[in-house]
Amino acid sequence: MPKKRFLQTRPFLALGIVALVWAILPIVVKSLSRISFYEFQAPANLAASYARDLQTFWAARLHSKNELIAAGRDLARLNAAYELTIRGNESLRAEIARLERLLNLPARAGYRYEVARVVRRDFSAWWQQIVIRKGKNYGIPVGAPVVFTGGVVGRVREVYAYTAVVDLISSPNIRLAANFDGDNRPVSFQGGPSPSFAAPRGRVHYVPLDIQASEAAPKRLVTSGLGGVFPPGLPIGRVIRLSPGPDGLFNIGEVELDERLGALTEVAVIIPTSEE
Amino acid sequence: MSIIETHSARKPRIAFFYWVVAGIMLVLTAGLFYRQLLSQEAFTERERLQNQRRILIPGPRGEIFDREGRVLVANRPRFSAVLYFSDPGLRREIRETALKLYRDVRDGKAQRPEKGYTNEARFRVVKKYTDLVGRILGRPVEVDRRRVERHFARRPILPYHIIEELSPTDFALLTEQLPVTSPVQIYASTARFYPYGNAAAHALGYVSSTLDFPRESMPGDDLMTFLNKGSVGRNGLELQFDELLQGKTGSEIWIVDPSGFQVELVKNDPPVQGHPLYTSLDIDLQMIGEQAFGDREGALVLLDARTGEVLAIVSRPDYDLNDLTPIITRDTFADIEDRGAWENRATRGLYPPGSPFKLITAMAALRAGAITPETEIECRGAIYVGRKRFVCHRRSGHGKMRLADAIRVSCNVYFYEAALATGVERIAEEARRFGLNEPTGIELPHEITKMIVPDPQWKRATEGYGWVKGDTANMAIGQGYLVVTPLQMAAFTASLARNETRTRPTILRRDNGMPVAVANNRSIGLPPRDRQAIIDGMEQAVQYGTAKYAAIPGIRLAGKTGTAQKRTPLGTLELAWFVGFGPIEDPQVAIAVVVVGEQPDEANAGGAVAAPIARKVLDVYFQKHPPHSAHKPKVAGF
Repeated sequence: MPKKRFLQTRPFLALGIVALVWAILPIVVKSLSRISFYEFQAPANLAASYARDLQTFWAARLHSKNELIAAGRDLARLNAAYELTIRGNESLRAEIARLERLLNLPARAGYRYEVARVVRRDFSAWWQQIVIRKGKNYGIPVGAPVVFTGGVVGRVREVYAYTAVVDLISSPNIRLAANFDGDNRPVSFQGGPSPSFAAPRGRVHYVPLDIQASEAAPKRLVTSGLGGVFPPGLPIGRVIRLSPGPDGLFNIGEVELDERLGALTEVAVIIPTSEE
Repeated sequence: MSIIETHSARKPRIAFFYWVVAGIMLVLTAGLFYRQLLSQEAFTERERLQNQRRILIPGPRGEIFDREGRVLVANRPRFSAVLYFSDPGLRREIRETALKLYRDVRDGKAQRPEKGYTNEARFRVVKKYTDLVGRILGRPVEVDRRRVERHFARRPILPYHIIEELSPTDFALLTEQLPVTSPVQIYASTARFYPYGNAAAHALGYVSSTLDFPRESMPGDDLMTFLNKGSVGRNGLELQFDELLQGKTGSEIWIVDPSGFQVELVKNDPPVQGHPLYTSLDIDLQMIGEQAFGDREGALVLLDARTGEVLAIVSRPDYDLNDLTPIITRDTFADIEDRGAWENRATRGLYPPGSPFKLITAMAALRAGAITPETEIECRGAIYVGRKRFVCHRRSGHGKMRLADAIRVSCNVYFYEAALATGVERIAEEARRFGLNEPTGIELPHEITKMIVPDPQWKRATEGYGWVKGDTANMAIGQGYLVVTPLQMAAFTASLARNETRTRPTILRRDNGMPVAVANNRSIGLPPRDRQAIIDGMEQAVQYGTAKYAAIPGIRLAGKTGTAQKRTPLGTLELAWFVGFGPIEDPQVAIAVVVVGEQPDEANAGGAVAAPIARKVLDVYFQKHPPHSAHKPKVAGF
């Protein structure tokens, strides 16, 4: 009987020994193991991602010719509209460059965009992360801002050989310098706990008391561009509630982020050209 | 014989030992009972006092508004970069740094720190985070070892300020680039902000930092308490209504570790902002008044003639209130001191009133029966009083004049004669009737009390000489020993406009449209015909007399200019005066302006210098508040 009991405890004993060995291992070994684990896991994630792309491709093949023709026509119109916008932007850029030369202003920091597919989404109460299909192989640096058509996505947290982990702005450990649209006073945005089955949320701090926002009349929150990470004017979300802060000096607000953050398939990493 | 000793429990020696042990146990149990049950409260209290600390946070001050609800004084956020020692990671880092330092010294790799391992470790950790902030901001940030030591010695529970004031860019850089869990965080407090810079600087006043702010009956009074800096009013409304503007102090009670660092927040009572203050000032009129003065020295007071509310109060030179917050730098102080700009000339500047005082002389003479409105006095340019020659400003003389004409052209000789016929006692009594011998009682601190309405008793008591007729002649034209403030002259003008003797100016908005009740206020008591003559003279002065540069088309104004002399160490400076009110048929505003000449013996006539300033202010007032009769044809008299 005692022997049987001993045999039953062996798994726990083994687990305890492993935990103990892990605890006393040097940090370098632990870190190396973690990275190796991630790098070994990466091809599987990438393969899954490519498989999804293939799935999407074959799903698209199922559309009728008429549907494809209609989609192609819409795309052509959209492209024409974008073409016009690009021309307008080019002329504005030239004008800005001319004015900068006139005023002898120093050259502004340049950026390049690296578009990457989303491999995996990892959402929990403590963090919200995505894994993208580009890493060191595309020169993506840690800390680089990530955006999508709806605005800010987050910042690159970790970079591996072929993948990178991005902290979403709904993560509590992301903080941005922001402005209310049309107001240049600085406020601070921080990701916050997001409710299940609802748009991700964040909090905005240091809101001057004279700024009003409500669900009926939300205010747009954009990046200030002063923090040195994000360019100015990128949408962060909509402030839907403001309430007095505990110190009575400022309001604290609730920010509703873009619903699409939870279903991202493609993002763009902004890489400062000075980083390269 | 057995080698094992056997004991019997009943042996008396053992039994005695049992009793001893039982007695000791009893004493211990009784002690335990006493300490755990009977002294529990006392020990809990001692533990509380030893382990808890209180932080007091002053409430933000209330805002100050003008009469139309525009913010004159607000609170602006003030962001600092601070290091929180309540962060467990930081405390562990300090311990580890101290330990490493100790090992290095033991192994001969480093020298023993002069002020101990802990102090050195604290400094190194603070420096590490200061350098991190410097790297993010792209500029070096100094760390003062003595300041760090002082902070740990005196206020370890409060955050250590790495940078006191962050610019918006600094704020954004640190917000975005500091890890969320870093012990360096952004700390928000408030500083006074004056959106209109130097407008009404003397009236609004300023504040200075203090640790002495209201904290009556707050929880944890018996705990060791640390104070965050608050602010206290030092001048103007900030001082006068300090109690009202002060917010409700908040408090935090923390459990601390043996080193005094925060561990757990036990109680949080947030601060509450102070009450708002609604002033009677109209910032539009105030700004116009400030601009109209330019760089000249002087003062301007614009009153609502019906209620006594101060619509604008200018004192030049002045200073930008934003330069005085959060601290007054030595250079700023020296600059303001050199320019003599601290003084509120509207409430503290004592000036001879000059010719506007002739209105008092006229009323005294009319009341005494020394003159009537029709009395004609001939001005030949000068008269002799005793052996001294008293001149008129028109050396060739004005010829024969009646009262209204004399006011219109501001003839000195007419008023010399009238005053001599009236007597100094009656003139002084008339001035006192209008309160020119006492402060107005406005809700501003430090209003001067040394104004002088001289009479023979006063001269005997202060100068030691008897009163002579020349003194009466001087006083008749607002010169000599007579000195008053611009605020008093504005109040006098408002009283004259209402046909009353007293106006209590107020800088607080009055919503009932009624004046502040004031003792000794009564009707002037002159027959309508007599008062009419004075008003006619003032109206004619604006229409085609000395005050013509104050005229506003479509508005019937009553005005009186003056040019007084003031002796200074540099020489005699001329003071340009203008007082007036309007519209005559329904007086709404009263104004007094005094401009001090820049150079000795430089011409600085009231009509040319002070009247145009008054006109600019009154013009804006009447644009904002067009009188009902503004477009009606002029009606003689009222």
